[in-house]
Amino acid sequence: MRISRRTLLKTGAAGMASTVFLPGLVRAQNADDVIRLAVAAGGPRSADPNQTTQGADNWTTEQMFEQLVRPPDGLFAAADDEYVPTLATSWETSEDGLTWTFQLREGVQFHKGYGEMTSEDVVHSFDRARFDGVNTAVFGNIESVEATGQYEVTFRLRGPDPLFLGSTIFQNGASIVSKKAEEEKGDSFNTDSIGTGPYVLDSFDSSNGTRLTRHDDYWDGPANISNVEVAYIADTTARTLALIAGEIDIIEAVRAPGWIDQIRQRDPDLRVDMTNPGSFMTLHINLNQEPFDNPMVRKAIATAIDSAAVANALAPMGMPTVTLSPPHYPTGWAREELPEELRYDYNPDTARQMLADAGFADGISFEANVSQREDYRSTMLIVQELMRPAGIDMQLNVMDHSAYHGANREDQNTLALHAASYPPVPLDYMSRYLSSGAEVKADGTGGGNYSHYGVAIPGVDDELAQMQVATSFDEYVSIGREIERKVQDDLPVLGVMTLGFTAVRSARVDLGYEVDGGYARWRFHKATKS
Amino acid sequence: MARYIFVRALDSIPTIFLVLTLVFIAMRILPGDPAIAVLGENARPETIALFRERFGLNDPIWLQYLHFLRDVVTLDFGTSLMKGVPVGDLILRNIPYTIELTIAAMIIGISGGIPLGVWAAINRNKAPDNGFRVFSLIGYAVPDFYLGAMLLIIFALNLGWFPITGAGVEFTDRLHHIVLPAVTLAMLKIAFLGRLSRTSLLEVMGRDYVRTARAKGAREPRVIYRHGLRNALLPLSTGLGLSVLTTLSGSVAVELVFNRPGIGRLLIDAISERDYPVIQAGVIVFAAAVVIVNLLMEIVYVVVDPRIKVK
Repeated sequence: MRISRRTLLKTGAAGMASTVFLPGLVRAQNADDVIRLAVAAGGPRSADPNQTTQGADNWTTEQMFEQLVRPPDGLFAAADDEYVPTLATSWETSEDGLTWTFQLREGVQFHKGYGEMTSEDVVHSFDRARFDGVNTAVFGNIESVEATGQYEVTFRLRGPDPLFLGSTIFQNGASIVSKKAEEEKGDSFNTDSIGTGPYVLDSFDSSNGTRLTRHDDYWDGPANISNVEVAYIADTTARTLALIAGEIDIIEAVRAPGWIDQIRQRDPDLRVDMTNPGSFMTLHINLNQEPFDNPMVRKAIATAIDSAAVANALAPMGMPTVTLSPPHYPTGWAREELPEELRYDYNPDTARQMLADAGFADGISFEANVSQREDYRSTMLIVQELMRPAGIDMQLNVMDHSAYHGANREDQNTLALHAASYPPVPLDYMSRYLSSGAEVKADGTGGGNYSHYGVAIPGVDDELAQMQVATSFDEYVSIGREIERKVQDDLPVLGVMTLGFTAVRSARVDLGYEVDGGYARWRFHKATKS
Repeated sequence: MARYIFVRALDSIPTIFLVLTLVFIAMRILPGDPAIAVLGENARPETIALFRERFGLNDPIWLQYLHFLRDVVTLDFGTSLMKGVPVGDLILRNIPYTIELTIAAMIIGISGGIPLGVWAAINRNKAPDNGFRVFSLIGYAVPDFYLGAMLLIIFALNLGWFPITGAGVEFTDRLHHIVLPAVTLAMLKIAFLGRLSRTSLLEVMGRDYVRTARAKGAREPRVIYRHGLRNALLPLSTGLGLSVLTTLSGSVAVELVFNRPGIGRLLIDAISERDYPVIQAGVIVFAAAVVIVNLLMEIVYVVVDPRIKVK
C-alpha cells in the first residue's frame, strides 16, 4: 500500500469535513416565544417522573406532568385543605382515614394524541410508582389502588395519614402518565414520556438539553409561551455569564455567600425567586463517637453555633432555624416558644464553660468531612470559625460530593452536614433522621440516621409510631412537636438553617405568580415574556 | 503498509487492556457510591439495595471485572447508570463535538504556530524572534481554563461577538460557537508548534545542503521553504502528533468552561457521578485515540521522509 503526501492531505481534508459539517437539529425560534432555563447539572438523566433522581430533571417533568392534586403555584401546602384540585376535581376520606376516593377531571388529554386520561391511567401510574419507581418507599402506606369508575379512583391505606395528599399524592413519582404510551414505548419512555401537563416533550438530548413545546389541548388552557428549552450548565461561571449575556432567561442560582449580591450588582434588573424553607441544613452529631456521646459536649456545640450568623452569611437565601423543622412548618418551634434551656443562645464563653464542665477544659478537637459543593462547604467553614472561640477545633476534610455522601452512608463522619428539601410532611424527614430503623451502618446498607439516635441513646421511635397512626392533623402535629422538643434536648441533630432554593431570571420573564415556597422547580404555564 | 498497520494495531491492545484495568480498579477504590450518586443522598436504603442488585454492584469485584472484559471485547459498553441509555449512543452523540473542536484547534494552531516559528527563525535574535519567544512563554504558562474564561468575558460577555455556551446546531451556528473554545485550545499549539518550527528550521538551516543551495544562488524564500522547512517537517510531524493528543486532553477543561458537549465533559460528569460504564467507555475512546494518533504519526513519518522504510 502506497500513501502519497497528496493522498494523505486529501484523506485528512475529507475526514475533517465529514466531522465538522455534521447536520444540525434545530429550528429557528422567536426569542420572545421561548423560555430558556439553565439548570445546574451536566445533562438530563430522565424525563420520566417516576425515574428522575436528579433535581435538575424535575424542572422538565414539572412542565410535562401533573398529579391528582397540587399545592398552589409557588407554595407548599402545609395542610391537606390547601391543596388545589388538579387531575382530580374532588376527594373524600372515610371515617377511619383508611380509604380515600378521588373523582377525576373529565376530558384531560394526554400529549401527542394518547387520548383522554381515565382511572386506568391513574391506577397504572400509582402501580408503577409503588413497585417500579426510584422512590417506592414513600408509597408504602398504600395497600391498594382501584379504578372504581371510569373517572373514580379509590386508595386503601395500611394506616391513617392526615397528610396523605402531601406525603403520597403530590409526589413526583405519583405524576399521572399515559398507560398506553408507557406500555407502547417500554424503556424509551424514559426519554419520550407522555403526560398531561402544559408542555410536551419535543426532544431529549443528553448533549444539548431538553426542548418542550406547548400542549395545545391542555385542560387548563394552553400556556402563554410556546416553547421551553432546558440547558444543562453545571459550571457556575458559565451559567451566570449566560444569564447576564441574555442567552438564558432563568438560571438556578449558586448557593454561596455573596453570589446574589454580586449578580445584582452586575444587573440590578434581574429578578430573584426563592423558596422558603428550601433545603434543611442539618448537622448530625455522631453519638457513637467520643466526645459527642457526652450530652454536655453536644449542648456546647449547639451554644457555639450562631445560626443567625450562618444564615446571614448566606443571605438572602439563609433563614435561621431553632429546632429540626423551620418555625412555619406544622411541627416547628419558634425560638420564643422554647424553654430557655433549649434555645442554646449563641455564647462562646458559655459553650467553653460547658465543655469544661464536661471534662474538656482545654476544648475539643476533631475531624469532620464536608462536601466540596458550595452550600455545604460555605456552611461548614462558617460553623468552623464560629466554634473556634469556644475551644472547638473542627478540622475539615473537603471531599467530592458523591464521595462525601458515600462516606456518610458508611458512618465515617463526626459532624455530618446534610442538605435536603422536604415538604411540610414532618413524619417523612423525622423518620429518615431519627428512627432507629434508619440508623446508618458501616456497610452502607443503613439509612439517614447519621447520629445513631434511638440506638446509641433512647430516641423517639414510640412517638414516631404514634404519629404514624394519628387520625387527625392536630394529633399528628402535637406528637410531632413533642418529638422536636425531645430532639432539642437530646441534640442528635441540630437545625442550623434553611437555605432557600433560588433561581434568577431576566426581568423580561414574568412567571405569573410569586415564588414563596414549594419544591425546587416552578411551572411556566402562566409565564409571559416581554 | 497494511500489514504494518495491522501489526501496530495489535501491539496497542496490551496498552489499552492495561489502561482499562487500571481505570476499573481505580473506580472501585475511589470513595463514593454510584447508587447514592444516581439516586441522591436522600435515597432510602431499600431503594439503594435494589439499584445495586439491578446493576450488579453487589457482585464480587472479580465477577464485575470479568463482565467488564466481556463487554469490552464484544464492544458492548452497557447502559449509563445515570441516564439509562446505551453508553455507545452517548459516545457517538458526543464524539463529533470533540473531534470538530480538536480539528478546529489544530487548524488554528498549525496555521498560527508554523508561520510564526518560521518568522522567528528567519529573524533570529531580532525583535520578532524575541516577541515570539515571550508570546510562546505566555502560551505555555496560561492554563486553558483561565484563558477560556478570559476570552468568554471579553469577547462573549462584554463585546458580545460570540455565544457563551453550547456548541450550536446549524453549520454557521456551530462555526460561531467553536471560535473561542478552539482559540483557547490553539494557544498552546501555537506556542508549541511555533517553538518547534523555529528550532527545527534553525537546525536545518545550518546544514550542508542549505549552504549548497545558497552557494548555487537559490533565492532566500526558496532556500527557506524548499530546502529548510521541508526538511524540518519530520520533527514537526512528531510535534503535531503530540499536539493532537494534548488538544484532546485539553478539550476536557475547555468543554467544561464553554459548556460544550463532548467526550471530555461526558467523562468528567461521569466521574463525578460514578457512572462506571460511561467512564470506562470514555477511557477506551481516549486510549484508542492515543493509539490511532501514534499510528497515524508513524505513517506520516514514512510519507514525509522517504528514507524511513516500513519493516
